[in-house]
Amino acid sequence: MNSIPEQIVQAVGIMFLGMGLVFVFLTILILCIKLVAMKFAPLPQEKATRAAENESTQPAGVDPKIIAVITAAIHQYRAKA
Amino acid sequence: MEGLIAFWAASGIANFTGGQVLMMAVGALLLFLAIVKGFEPLLLLPIGFGAILANIPNGGFIDEGGLLFLAYHVGIETGVFPLLIFMGVGALTDFGALIANPKMLLLGAAAQFGIFATLIGAIALNWVPGFEFSMKDAGAIAIIGGADGPTAIFLASKLAPELLGAIAVAAYSYMALVPLIQPPIMRLLTTEAERQIKMEQLREVSKKEKIIFPLMVLGLTILFLPAATPLVGMFCLGNLMRESGVVDRLSNTAQNELINIVTIFLGLAVGSKLSADKFLQLETLGILVLGAIAFAIGTATGVLMAKLMSKMSGGKINPLIGAAGVSAVPMAARVVNKVGLEANQHNYLLMHAMGPNVAGVLGSAVAAGVLIAVLG
Repeated sequence: MNSIPEQIVQAVGIMFLGMGLVFVFLTILILCIKLVAMKFAPLPQEKATRAAENESTQPAGVDPKIIAVITAAIHQYRAKA
Repeated sequence: MEGLIAFWAASGIANFTGGQVLMMAVGALLLFLAIVKGFEPLLLLPIGFGAILANIPNGGFIDEGGLLFLAYHVGIETGVFPLLIFMGVGALTDFGALIANPKMLLLGAAAQFGIFATLIGAIALNWVPGFEFSMKDAGAIAIIGGADGPTAIFLASKLAPELLGAIAVAAYSYMALVPLIQPPIMRLLTTEAERQIKMEQLREVSKKEKIIFPLMVLGLTILFLPAATPLVGMFCLGNLMRESGVVDRLSNTAQNELINIVTIFLGLAVGSKLSADKFLQLETLGILVLGAIAFAIGTATGVLMAKLMSKMSGGKINPLIGAAGVSAVPMAARVVNKVGLEANQHNYLLMHAMGPNVAGVLGSAVAAGVLIAVLG
C-alpha cells in the first residue's frame, strides 16, 4: 500500500481532475442549452406584440352596427318590462 | 420440560448479544427521527425498521435466502434500486428553471467541491490510528457531499459495499438536516445587502426545449462520461417520459407507484447493512464526521461561486441560491427561500433556487461518474 502522503497527492490529483471535468461538462451543457434556446425559445417580443394586437383590435373589432343592434335590443327589452 | 428449554434456547432473550441490542437502539433512534422529528421519513422509517429486523437473533433476515438478504442482493448489489429511484426523480424534476437560466449549472458544479475535498479528508484520516480507508472507500464516503441519496448508494455499492450502510445512513441523515446545517454557513458568507438582492423573473421555456434537454444531457454523457450513463441515463429517461407528454401513464408510475415500491425495499436493504459487526466500528464515526464536512464545504463553495457570479453580473444574482447547488432537491431550495425571506419579506427565491438545485443533481451524477471512471 502507498504511504499516506502519496495517497493524498493522488487524491489532490483526482480533486483537480474531477472538478475540472464537472465544470467542463456542465459548461458544454450551458452552451448547448443556449444553442437550443436560440432556435426553440418562445420569442418574448412575439408574445408582447400579440398581446398588444389583441388589446388594440378587440375594442375596435366590434362592429358599430352590432353595437347599434344590441342597444336597440336592450331598449326593446326594457320597454317590454 | 425439555420443550421449555428448547423454547428458551431459541428465544430472543437468550441469544441477544450486546451489539445487536445497541443496533436495535440505533434502529429505534432512526424510527424516532422519522416519526417524531419528521426527518426524511420515507427512507429513515424503512431503514430503521430494517436495522431492527437485521439484528434479531435467529431471525434469519440477513442470512442467505432471507428477505433482507435477497432485497440487498437483488436491488443494491446490482445497483438496480438506486437507478430506478433515479428514473423516478427524473420524472419528478422540472428543468424549466434551469433551461431558462443555464448559468445556474455553474453553481451546481461549484457545490461538488465538497465531494472532492472530502476525498482528501478521508485519506488524511488514515493518519489517525484505527482508520484505514482505501482510495475507493474515500471516494464512496466523499459522495455524501453530493447530498443525493440514490447517487451515494449507487457509488458505494460499486466502490465500497462494506461501508454502504454507514454511507447511506449518513447521506440521508444529512439531507434531513439541510435546514440546520446550511443557514449558518449561508449567513456567514453573505452580507445582509447581498441576501436582499431581488432577481429578475425567469423567461418562459418552450415544450421543445424541455424535450430536447434530457436527450442533450444523455448525448453529452455518452460522448464524454460513459461511466455516468447508468445514473444519467435513467434520470433522462424519467425526465423524457415526463416532458414528452405522450406517456403520462409511465411517467406517473415512475414518479409514484414505482418509486414508492422501490423506496420500501431500498430502505429495508440499506437497514440490513446496519448489523452490529459491520456498523459498530470506528470507521462509521469517521464517515459521519466526513459526511458533515463534505456537506458544509459543498454549501460554502456553492455560495462563494454565486457571490462571484453576483459580482460579475453587477449584482443581479442573489448569492444565497448557490447553497442550493448541493442537490438535496427540493429541501435545499426551500432553505434558500426561507433565508432569503428573512432578509427581505418580499423576496421569493424558490424558483431561482430550483435552477442550481436540479443542476446539483446533474453535477453530483457527473462527479459520481468521474469517481467511478477514475477509481472503479
